[in-house]
Amino acid sequence: MSDFEPKVVAFVCNWCTYAGADLTGTSRIKYASNVKIIRFPCTGRIDFMLLLKAFANGADGIIVSGCHPNDCHYTSGNFHAKRRWIMFKELMDFMGVDMNRVTFSWVSAAEGAKWADVVNTTVTKIRELGPYVSYKELVNKSVEEEVKND
Amino acid sequence: MTSLIIRAKELLENKTVQVVIGYEAGPTGVARPAFITDPAKAESLIYDERCVQNLAVYLTKREVKNIGKMAIVATLPVMRSIMMLISEQQLFADNIVVLGISADGKLLDIADNKVMQGYIEKSDLSNPEKYKGLLTEFNKLSPEEKFLYWQKELSKCIKCYACRQACPMCYCTRCTVEVNQPQWIPVKANTHGNMEWHILRAMHLAGRCISCGECGRACPVGIPCHLLTMHLTDQVYNYFKVYAGTSEKMSSVLSTYEPNDKESFII
Amino acid sequence: MARIGVFICHCGENISATVDCGKVAETIGKLKHVAYSTEYKYMCSDPGQTLIKDAIKEHKLTGVVVSACSPRMHEPTFRKACAEAGLNPFLCEMANLREHCSWVHEKNELTTQKAIDIVRTQVEKVKLNSALQPIKVPVTKTAMVIGGGIAGIQAALDIANTGHKVVMIERSPSIGGHMSQLSETFPTLDCSQCILTPRMVEVAQHPNITLYTYAEVESVEGFIGNFKVKIRKKAKSLDEKICTGCGLCTTKCPQKKIPNEFEQGMGMRPAIYVPFPQAVPNRPVIDKEHCTYYIKGKCKICEVVCPTKAIRFDQPDEILDLEIGAIVVATGFDIKHADFFPEYGYGKYKDIIDGLQFERMASASGPTSGEIRRPSDGQVPKNIVFIACAGSRDPAKGIAYCSKICCMYTAKHAMLYKHKVHEGRAHVFYMDIRSGGKNYDEFVRRAIEEDHVNYIRGRVSTVFERDGKLIVKGVDTLLGAQPVEIVADMVVLATAGVANAGAEDLAQKLHVSYDQHKFFAEAHPKLKPVETNTAGIFLAGACQNPKDIPDAVSQASGSAVKVAALFSQDMLTREPLVAVVNRYAPPMYSTCVGCFLCQSVCPYQAIEREEFKNREGKVVKTVAKINEGLCQGCGTCVALCRSKSIDLLGYSNNQVHAEVMALLNEY
Repeated sequence: MSDFEPKVVAFVCNWCTYAGADLTGTSRIKYASNVKIIRFPCTGRIDFMLLLKAFANGADGIIVSGCHPNDCHYTSGNFHAKRRWIMFKELMDFMGVDMNRVTFSWVSAAEGAKWADVVNTTVTKIRELGPYVSYKELVNKSVEEEVKND
Repeated sequence: MTSLIIRAKELLENKTVQVVIGYEAGPTGVARPAFITDPAKAESLIYDERCVQNLAVYLTKREVKNIGKMAIVATLPVMRSIMMLISEQQLFADNIVVLGISADGKLLDIADNKVMQGYIEKSDLSNPEKYKGLLTEFNKLSPEEKFLYWQKELSKCIKCYACRQACPMCYCTRCTVEVNQPQWIPVKANTHGNMEWHILRAMHLAGRCISCGECGRACPVGIPCHLLTMHLTDQVYNYFKVYAGTSEKMSSVLSTYEPNDKESFII
Repeated sequence: MARIGVFICHCGENISATVDCGKVAETIGKLKHVAYSTEYKYMCSDPGQTLIKDAIKEHKLTGVVVSACSPRMHEPTFRKACAEAGLNPFLCEMANLREHCSWVHEKNELTTQKAIDIVRTQVEKVKLNSALQPIKVPVTKTAMVIGGGIAGIQAALDIANTGHKVVMIERSPSIGGHMSQLSETFPTLDCSQCILTPRMVEVAQHPNITLYTYAEVESVEGFIGNFKVKIRKKAKSLDEKICTGCGLCTTKCPQKKIPNEFEQGMGMRPAIYVPFPQAVPNRPVIDKEHCTYYIKGKCKICEVVCPTKAIRFDQPDEILDLEIGAIVVATGFDIKHADFFPEYGYGKYKDIIDGLQFERMASASGPTSGEIRRPSDGQVPKNIVFIACAGSRDPAKGIAYCSKICCMYTAKHAMLYKHKVHEGRAHVFYMDIRSGGKNYDEFVRRAIEEDHVNYIRGRVSTVFERDGKLIVKGVDTLLGAQPVEIVADMVVLATAGVANAGAEDLAQKLHVSYDQHKFFAEAHPKLKPVETNTAGIFLAGACQNPKDIPDAVSQASGSAVKVAALFSQDMLTREPLVAVVNRYAPPMYSTCVGCFLCQSVCPYQAIEREEFKNREGKVVKTVAKINEGLCQGCGTCVALCRSKSIDLLGYSNNQVHAEVMALLNEY
């Protein structure tokens, strides 16, 4: 699987991690190009269903990142997000969905280097884990099921 | 249960309530929900081991609410449902009389919600014993085994949404599954879509599930979907030290936070 | 049908050096609904913007994706350009090809492919954008300044002088802040009181300023231009209108042994007191915690002696409701006190004092009338040691930052000591001398060269007492870390400047961010140093980080001009990126089921209840409603809502879903 290029989607908040990723750019710190960023106003806005949709559409890994606790632009969005991710992770672990493929992080607007690090660590990890075959198979099988049921 | 019948009759006769929600025996002897509005018919109320359904599900139904003030035969899960419904503003405390039933099937004297709260707080609020062992065993499986298990189970789901209908906390008039902009949950039944549905349902009940197990009992194809919500109930307690449905004022776990909530996976 | 225009910017070579812009434009041009796709060297330049404007008209574009730098940089630029061409600005999105792609990746196929994916995602998003109208909100042209130190005073006077009303809140009985405690100020050595008191009086007498002392912020609701503030005016136990400030009560009060806060505990005050002689307002308050009457129910001597009968023991706290348009936070700082330096013996030995205590001692109006005397026996110290960086720049102590003012005031202290005790010896232990500032380094040099203060570069490890003397043990790192032992009569610690008690609490009330040290956080460290992340709330002075007087005053004037700019308009225009709860025709009204769990996640109290009534006036449904003036658009309620009844304009469920789909599916 040496030519495997993981697809990684990053869900980030506008005020910290998106700005942090901007700083990575301004500082010209290089990182793996496998990650693509979707901007949200706040981690509190990130619907857990979007993570499932990302896996369903072929993502091999996911990064969710926002402001450090107490730094939320909206005061508390990240605290609510934190609780949501705790529950989501527990549920996914219970159902056998591979949470090693999801990186949750706090990256501030000043942590350009940390953003590069979060991305590189995640991409390296996903490379080791390989493509998310079992999830992709589940989705493909489901398409067949629908055809059969029609 | 004479004491229950006497009390129900009394409530209807003195017009304290307009309807008593309880159980009666159906034609084949199976317990079914009863909505008694006529004091004379209170005689048909029963309470025994056959009576397992969580009647709180009817408290938010327009057809029932419109009759007037309600009394309800309430075991512990029903009482906890009532607390949740009041806290989520789906039920008004002064619109309900609770005919509490103790764990050993005796009629309790629940004068008001304060008394009910006291009773709930004294009770064991963790998941029912019969599921605890199952959850422990299940948690020992490897991630791959878990994934395969749920794939197998969820492939059976026919998206009838009986799990949703049976749940007193699933009272939305429009469910996410009916939203098509975007289509969060595929309309047709397929294993992946079914899984998305059950994840969504469990997440929506995180911190709100009162462990009655009705969702699993209602499933016509026998998917143990109650294990999902019950697992989260365990985790909610594990992380936040709360159980759902303990007071009228409680706020759900996912709509509140503590700045020092502990987790170990965010880098 | 959507007609999207895509504009790929080379940003000189910033993007085109690693991304094949031609290929991106070409690939994107083939996408469904993309009516026009082009590339250009500088999209933000005038010709670049003209290119976009012309294309909007020529190709009848319904949406625009500018693929250039970060939207945090140029989104306003391009949205404005679109608006000028007649396209609703909210139908313009930016794809971040520079910060998130060309600058962080090598030049190769994958980088170009990523650029294509990023642009495609924004194309899919913009298709679902809707034309939004800016929200207009009125502005209440009254400012509130929290804190009556020099920064607050400056901000209040500057705003008031622009003709706008100012309410100043000060939690202690008098304005003046730390500056009123200082003896003389660096680098000019002019008397602090002499330059401050006229300004304090000006505040009190200014027709545009309403001053509330002994008052605290209870709660803040609302948003820029429209804050609703509750102020708790603590009971002073006296009628200020009748009191003449004669001070007779303060001399007759039998309770006289209360450590005086203004004198940093080096003097005593009665229970009914004026904090210091030049206090503004010059009216006493009763300290309920120490007043004999409040403790034991008996005494009332002050009431008896008061010539105007102004004492009111039963006076309750008063809650004032204020309508405020902008807030300047100038709550100042504090210094680390006892117990923080067990190794230096502070709190154990009487003759170890902190910088503020030395200020009081050196002040002509202080407890020693300006003479430097040991607290233990009142002797004039012959040998004095000043320890700079006591706590500051010490990560082990939890304070990694430089407190900024200590180098300068330590030099000043040493100088003042030398001016007062000519035969005395002053030693300063320092890590570095940080004396950046106009005439600052010259000032320090003067202390060393003219006043012969002995500067020792090194840290002090311990201070202990031996035979009535304080033994200061340290090293001199300029002499090869040679141990130094000084037998001192008195030690002054330049303790770290820290956030004021209650700063965190206030920040939470105001919904402004603060850093790990509880200092208030600016919106941008360089370009928005006086703004906070909450629109309409500005910072002045040391509540942001320790600063000296000129810095605090400059910043205060800076925030004043921000407030004045805000007040220069009658209506404020806000971005319409807010949450909405759906509405349908009756009998549905909304799919919202009214659980109101969203209310508890909203940080801005922006979620209200809306009742729908039938013809008989009976409420048939209660659902959530977003106050668009209050909503800041975080979207936490949107993700929480189980029935998906809330959506966020600009980041709608449909849009973010389309983005996820587009990002992953190459088509």
